[in-house]
Formats: sequence, structure tokens, C-alpha cells
Amino acid sequence: MSDMRYKLHPVSAFINFMKSLKELIIPFIVIFGVNIFRDGGVGAMFSQGWTGLLPLLIGLVVVLFSLVVGIIKWKRFVYWFEDGELRIEYGLFIKKKRYIPFERIQSLNYTEGIFHRPLNLVKVRVETAGSGKAGEAEAELTAIKRVDADRIETEIENAKHRAIPVMGPLEVQHEQVDENAVPEKKELKTLYRMSMKELLILATTSGGIGVVISAVAVFLSQFSDLIPYETIYEEVILFLRFGYLIVALAVFAGLLIAWIISVILTLLANYQFTIQVDKDHIYITRGLLEKKKVSVPFKRIQGVKVSRNPLRELFGYGVVTVESAGGSMGGKDEKIRLFPLVKNDRMLPVLEELFPEMEFQPELVKAPKRSVHFYYRLDFLWMLPLIGVLSYYFFPYGLLSLLIVPPVIAIGVWQHRTTGYALIGRQLTMEFRGFSKHTFYVWKKRVQAVNVLQTYFQRRRDLASIEATIKSGMLGYSARINYMEKEDASRILDWYHPAPVTAKQKGQPE
Amino acid sequence: MNDQPKNKISRKGLTVWRLYGMIETFVLTLLVGGVAALTYFFGWPVWLYAVYAGALLLFAFLLIYLFPKIRWQRWRYEVREQEIELQYGLFIVTRTLVPMVRVQHVDTEQGPILRRYDLAEISISTAATTHTIPALITSEADELRGMISALARVAEDDV
Repeated sequence: MSDMRYKLHPVSAFINFMKSLKELIIPFIVIFGVNIFRDGGVGAMFSQGWTGLLPLLIGLVVVLFSLVVGIIKWKRFVYWFEDGELRIEYGLFIKKKRYIPFERIQSLNYTEGIFHRPLNLVKVRVETAGSGKAGEAEAELTAIKRVDADRIETEIENAKHRAIPVMGPLEVQHEQVDENAVPEKKELKTLYRMSMKELLILATTSGGIGVVISAVAVFLSQFSDLIPYETIYEEVILFLRFGYLIVALAVFAGLLIAWIISVILTLLANYQFTIQVDKDHIYITRGLLEKKKVSVPFKRIQGVKVSRNPLRELFGYGVVTVESAGGSMGGKDEKIRLFPLVKNDRMLPVLEELFPEMEFQPELVKAPKRSVHFYYRLDFLWMLPLIGVLSYYFFPYGLLSLLIVPPVIAIGVWQHRTTGYALIGRQLTMEFRGFSKHTFYVWKKRVQAVNVLQTYFQRRRDLASIEATIKSGMLGYSARINYMEKEDASRILDWYHPAPVTAKQKGQPE
Repeated sequence: MNDQPKNKISRKGLTVWRLYGMIETFVLTLLVGGVAALTYFFGWPVWLYAVYAGALLLFAFLLIYLFPKIRWQRWRYEVREQEIELQYGLFIVTRTLVPMVRVQHVDTEQGPILRRYDLAEISISTAATTHTIPALITSEADELRGMISALARVAEDDV
């Protein structure tokens, strides 16, 4: 019925072009960078006539080429709906066809970049379950109109409603009458909107600084061959004569700038963070320049994790991530941040509304007292030789290394204090700490396997560690609580044992 | 928790692990031989040879005799109607429980050494994890694979 073939918006040609330009930046910097450091600098390129201009010409050709490629890619890309499938045809030299059955589509994720916003367009990513094989049907529509995106959604919705009652021709007839009623936009309920205050706290306390610094470090190491270190070195020596104060100030200024950049990036990415729900999806919208909308089907949610680093724990803030199965191949979207940062008392009502069958503040069974030394005992394996070597070779001052012992023990004790679990009905809760505290909530039906681990020493003291694995993205995520009472391990195993087969279930195989 | 899973893996598995241990020891011998040659050429102290020999003997003992023995004695598995239970580990003893409902597929696999001893290993995959029972008699492994896949199909989600 809808054999109409749709194209992407022309701006996608431009977006394709920009994307390939972005990939070209580094080779370009290399080409021109090398020339700058040759004698004569860039100016020499022009005075040498033909051969000097060669790199520039090649660059120009490459840019033109990628522009043409961008346009062709857009020209070639068509999608349409047929036989309950989303069909896409694309390809530069080789024509590729990709057919995705509607039932397989898990969710449509929208992104609005800076080029999309003024034209009211969206980028749509079609997410499928991806059954474990990389490269399985997954599609990206670079830029389409909002209404077109909505049309895809209604098509899928229609198809799903038609597909469910496969009874007979009569039923199908009946369904088709209903069809017009179904596509009405589903009611979206907004559960949470991040306040400016929370956003600011998030931006200023997030660990994004490290990311920026390491990015700069990586960037510099990439070009270490091209940077004339001798010249720089001399200047550094000169610089050093100004004294350490200036160096320290420079370092501080550098860190400050890095921090400000990270604050701005976080602000932009999480601006107007909103959680909305309908019957079977959670929608997360965020972003200022690039607006992102991610949808998570409730069906795919495997577990919920609340993480609090010590600083945030102190002020009652936490990060909530949702482990979802399948989804994108990219690997970074598997852990969906439900709350990038939220105060406990604001988080709980929302979580309770989202997962009504889950208890978020259960009474925890803690690790037994006698297991406390297990938490730091192993650390002595690396600490003792280290302290020994340092003390021996740097005799008086090396002894200072003994100072690391108390903090390590303190962290061990702290980890011991945090560790605990709770079993309520079909829900398992585990709380543990590396440095940050993690609380992990999971349903029995989502646990893929349970491991109980015991070393020789643990066996002697009747202790055991317990590990529960759930599916997260393409892989698994394991939550582990260490050095619990052996009884507790038994209790978790008993809880996890499948219920004995009842007569009723046996009566109806398949 | 105190009752172990009841099936042991094949006795021939121990032989195979000893064989692996011998191969590892052989590689180690080559390395030690190299170091000994260096010692000879550079004229390092003579007592080092004794250290090398001692280390080699110790590793041979551990890799060929002790570790395979402990591992073999520790390895237990049991396939029940609703679940699979495994126990294994050299230093850390791990007990694993996998409900039948979670089993996605079962594979058997056989390398050249295992084939020579008519053994096969069986891998049970869930959506997130893979569990391997090493060294079962081939016919037993095939039977077990059939059984697990049949049970996995029948098993109903109890939640």
C-alpha cells in the first residue's frame, strides 16, 4: 500500500560531506604541518611553482571528491515500507539493500545536530536486537523531516498491531478498521526534568576533565614526530628561568582551561535532560547543540545500577544507569544513563514509578565481621615488596612509603562496610564498592548465571564471593560481592534455583 | 551448597591435561635453555644453573603433576532438568548455576589432541556468558549436547 519511495533531505549530502571532511582534518594537518616546519614555511609552497603546490592541489581534489561522494550517497539512498519491512537501498559503487522487519526494530533513536535544527530535521538510527552478530541490520537515516520520522514510527506501530493477533482473515479485517485509531500519538508522560542547579553540579563535578586532558595528551603524542622538540626545549629552559611559580601557574591555568572545557561540554550534552515514558518505552532527551533522543524499551531492561562516588555520596547524589540488552553495535549506548546526576530523594520516586515492582531501598545483609581483613590482605602482596625495595634503596626517605598502608587498609574496611545484598521476592540487590559505591538491582529472570567463588582461605573461614551476570549490550555485566558468609552464598543459589516444574507446565510442552 | 555436582569429567581428561603440561614445560625448557646459553656466553656465576634447573623441575612438577590433578579432582558438573551446575577451579573454586531457560545454544568442540583421546569439550552459551565443560568422552558429549538442547527448549520461564 505504501510503495512510495522516500529520499533523505538534501542537507544529508552536506552532512555526509562534513563528516568526511572531519575525517580528513588529521591528514591535512600532517601535510601542511610538515610543510610549515620545512624551511621557508607555507610561503615556500607557493614560491616553488608547480611541485610546491602539489599537496594543496591534491587536497583540493580530495575535498571535491568527498563533496561529490556526499551528493551521490544522498542521491542513491532510498527507503520505503513494504511487506511489514523497512527497506533501504543505498551504496556508492555497490548497491546495497537492507530489509528490516518491523518486529525486529527495537527502537528509533533521534539525534538533532546543528545542521538539523534550523531545518527541523532529525537523524534517525534504527536499532535492532542484533542477536549477537556484528553488522546485523541496523540503519541510519542521516537527515529526514520530523513528519517523516513520525511516519516511520506510525508505520512500525501499525505493523506491530497488525502482527500480534494472527487469528484469521476476519480478524485482520477487523484490525484494519482499527488502524486509523492506533496511530494517534501515544501519551508521553514526563517524569523528570533536570534542573539547572543539578546540571551545574553535574558539569562541575564530573570526571570529564581527565578525558579532556588525556585527549590533549593523545593528540600531542600523535604529532610528537612533527613537533620540533629541540626548539621547544630551549624555550622551555628559558621559561624555567622565570621560576617554578610561573610553571605552576601555567600548569594550573592549563588544568583550569581543561576543566572549563569539560564543564561546557557536559553542559551542552546534558542540557534539558528529560525522562519521558509511555506504555512500553522510556525516552531520554538531552542536548543543546545536538539534541539526542534515546528510547529504551522496558522489555530490554536487564538491571538498574546506582553509582555514587565518595564526593557525591557525601552530598546524597548519584548516577543511575540502566543496563539494556542488545541495541547498538557502537558499544557506548548500551549503558544508558537514566540520571546523569540526581539527588537521592528526587531519584527514588521516579525509579519507583518506572519500575513499580522493584524495591529500591531494601534492608541489606552485610558481609560478616570476620571477613574484613580479606578486603586488604591481598594488597600486601604488592605493597610489601614495594615498600621493601623503596626503603632499602632510598633508606631514610623510602620509609615514607609505609604511609600507603593505612589508606589501603582504610579503603578495604570501607569496602567491607559497604558490601551487602538483599533478596526480596524475585529481586536481587547487591551493594559493593571499588572506590565509588554501586548498588545493583536485578530481577531473577534477567540473571544469566550465578557464580560462587571460594579460595582456599575463604573455604577455611566459611566465606564465599558471589557473582551475578546479566546481559548488557552485546556482552555481559557481572556484579560481584566479595567475602560474604557461605550461608549467604547458599541462600542466593537457592533463590536462583529454578522453581521445580509444576504439573501444569509439564502438561503443555512448548 | 556442600553437596557437589555429581558427575566427574573423563579420566582421560587428566591425561590430556598432563600432556598440555608437558607441552608447556617443553616451551619453558626452551626458554630456560636460552637463558642458560646467555649465562654461558657472558660468564655469569655458575650457581645460576642450579637455580634454572630447580625452577624447571618445580614447574614441571606443578604443571604436569599437581595442577592437572587438583583441577581434575575439582571438576564436577551436573545437568538437571531445570539447571546446569558446574564446579571448577585451581586456586579459586567456582560454583556456577545456569538455569535451562537461559541456555541459548550448546556446542561441542574437539581439537587434534582431544580427538586422539576420543574426547570433546562442550560449551553452553547464555545470552551473556559461556561455560565450558572440558574433556568428556565424545559420545557422552554428543548425548549431553542433545539433552541440554532438548531440555532448554522445553524449559519454561518461571518468572
